Amino acid sequence: MIRRETEKMKRVTRLVSTVVLAATVAMPLAASAADRSVKVLGWGAKSGPLKSFGVNSEAALRSAIAQINAAGGVKLGDGSSAPLEVVSYEDSACKKDQNIAILRKTASTTDAIVGMGATCSGSCQAMFGVLQKKVGDATDSGVQMPILSDTCIRPGLAKISEWAFRNVPNEVAMYDKLFAWLRSENPDVKTFSGGTETDQGHSFITHTAIIVQAAVRHGFEWVGPSVPELGPKVKQGMKELQAAAKTQHWLMGDTNYSVQARKIKKQNPDMILVSSHPFSACGFLKEMKRRNVKPKLLVGLTSSASQETLNGCMNAAEGLIIPTGFAPITPEAVSANEIVSKAGGFLDLHSAAAWENAYLVKTAVEKAGISATSDTVAEDRRKFRDALASISGSVGLIGPVTRDGATGEASKPYVYVQVVNGEWKVIHDPR
Amino acid sequence: MDDFWFEFVEITQSIGDGFLFGSTYALIGIGFTLIFGAMGKLNVAYAATAMAGAYSSLAIYILFDASLVIIFIVSAICAAILGYLVYLACFRFIPVHNHLAALMASVGGLFFIDEVIVHATRGSPLNFPSMFSEAYFEVGPYGIRGDLLFVFFIGLISTGVLLYVLFRTRLGLATRAVAQQDVAARLCGMGIHSTNSTTFAVAGLLGGIAGAMTAAAVGILSPVMMLPLTIKGLIVTVIGGLGSIPGAIIAGLFVGSFENVVMYFRGIDERDMYVVALLFIFLVFRPNGLFGKTITRD
Repeated sequence: MIRRETEKMKRVTRLVSTVVLAATVAMPLAASAADRSVKVLGWGAKSGPLKSFGVNSEAALRSAIAQINAAGGVKLGDGSSAPLEVVSYEDSACKKDQNIAILRKTASTTDAIVGMGATCSGSCQAMFGVLQKKVGDATDSGVQMPILSDTCIRPGLAKISEWAFRNVPNEVAMYDKLFAWLRSENPDVKTFSGGTETDQGHSFITHTAIIVQAAVRHGFEWVGPSVPELGPKVKQGMKELQAAAKTQHWLMGDTNYSVQARKIKKQNPDMILVSSHPFSACGFLKEMKRRNVKPKLLVGLTSSASQETLNGCMNAAEGLIIPTGFAPITPEAVSANEIVSKAGGFLDLHSAAAWENAYLVKTAVEKAGISATSDTVAEDRRKFRDALASISGSVGLIGPVTRDGATGEASKPYVYVQVVNGEWKVIHDPR
Repeated sequence: MDDFWFEFVEITQSIGDGFLFGSTYALIGIGFTLIFGAMGKLNVAYAATAMAGAYSSLAIYILFDASLVIIFIVSAICAAILGYLVYLACFRFIPVHNHLAALMASVGGLFFIDEVIVHATRGSPLNFPSMFSEAYFEVGPYGIRGDLLFVFFIGLISTGVLLYVLFRTRLGLATRAVAQQDVAARLCGMGIHSTNSTTFAVAGLLGGIAGAMTAAAVGILSPVMMLPLTIKGLIVTVIGGLGSIPGAIIAGLFVGSFENVVMYFRGIDERDMYVVALLFIFLVFRPNGLFGKTITRD
């Protein structure tokens, strides 16, 4: 009897010991899984005249990540789930040196697996230049950190480094299709001219390398200063156009557009291109209105398809047509627009890309199977980069987005919007 | 012959447009020169103060749907208050002879005001009510913007009032006395700090009008205007002659016309280069500007 009781006690003791031991071993593991998060770090212009870009992108990124986390976060390589965490969203003020400094700090002092955002094309170009050009190149000591941009829109930037990725519209395709459509819809519009701001890389390059050539390609006749080299191919006659038309261009901070408006008025074009950010676009549009310049068509720069343009010159911009990668035309886009508005931001073609990027990060993390521990940061970054490069398509807010892993670029759906009675209206949906 | 006539009209039209728009540069230049004349120091935050006044008036316009006259008055008053605050923050407590510290403090003031506006508006351009925006007079082949004419005449009136205050009132007498010999002025019972602070407030009043007029002429307010206006104002002040009000007026109108003509012929790439070259030429060959006190070389 006593012996049986003793045996029973021993069994119970063994069982309890086993349970305690198992719990002791398992508890730290369970705790570390619960504590893990997949860290990302964002930056953009949160001060200076382009502050709205950074503020809107941050609001969109944080809102989308909150939605992802509310739905269970992301799956890690070991099958557990972890939340996405925005470590911080820094202010790079659209300055090259600040962009590079934030990149280096993020790469060396944080566990973030990807840097997101970065507002201006010029500062992105400089920042991409300090990344390692080819993955795995032991002779290249460049920074090995994946960057996923939502705003740096100037064509071809992501090819600078295999660590650079963008989710920005393809302006070559957008303007090509836009002018094809305008050609078919407006057979009476035959001639065109226009101006741009020369101190903003995106505006200047897009105008002189893409937009003007796209208009020529679809049969519109350039009636600005003579440029014999101008042709239908992208960049054809770009340098010559930049030199010849410099008296009808302006700077972003200009306050007097009288010479430019008179020159263009004198050319009497049917269509006028205003390839400029909201402030200077508004200044020029107002000057044209004062001088009674009334073209049949007004075409603007993608970056001006925003609330800022309406704030600045709702009346003068009436009729302005712009291709854009975002409009609240799908249930997902409407919902995202409302969420971001509540978070204090506006959703436009740039900030909508920040929203989409959060979901792209989720997809890439789950595809990469990362560990998300402080010991595996470098390995996780590499796995994440490779996964991002291998993604050939994702779901965007207004439709499917295709991705080219080799170039790091995206091909996004777009629509054409126009200022009608002081509001942006979708006038054509080529999706 | 037709081409010649056409070019002639275009060039003279450019000069005219620039001349009228130059009145905003002149007003900013007068503010710079007024403070320099009184204290011998540059207040680099002056144009920012002027634009901040315009932003304040825009807030009143949006909140209370105020009339244009009220907007101008509010802009002037707010800029005067800000001018006084800039004096307190950047000049009042800095040793009189430490010119560099005062200069750097006012540079800090410029960027501080700029960032406050950026944070308040997110850097977004805002529509500013225009005066007489529909008024466009055609005189033969020439066109004249009614709102710029208005700006020009308001500028002339403001300058007239300022000159009256400077040369016909006790405040003006005190300002000139402190500017000429501050120790003697103090011995005569004039308060240096009270005179300087009043000068900042008066310059701010003028700046507020200039800021509102510039915004009305462009039709928009944006922080991106701040730095170019500061630079143009400083160039106008130096070319006109540091401390000379007539010089600032003439230089403002001249710089406005000059940059428009350069814009017409050489385009945006070279416009500011020529304007800065003009400044350089003045600094080298006529360092006292058009009407400034004689500066001798060592």
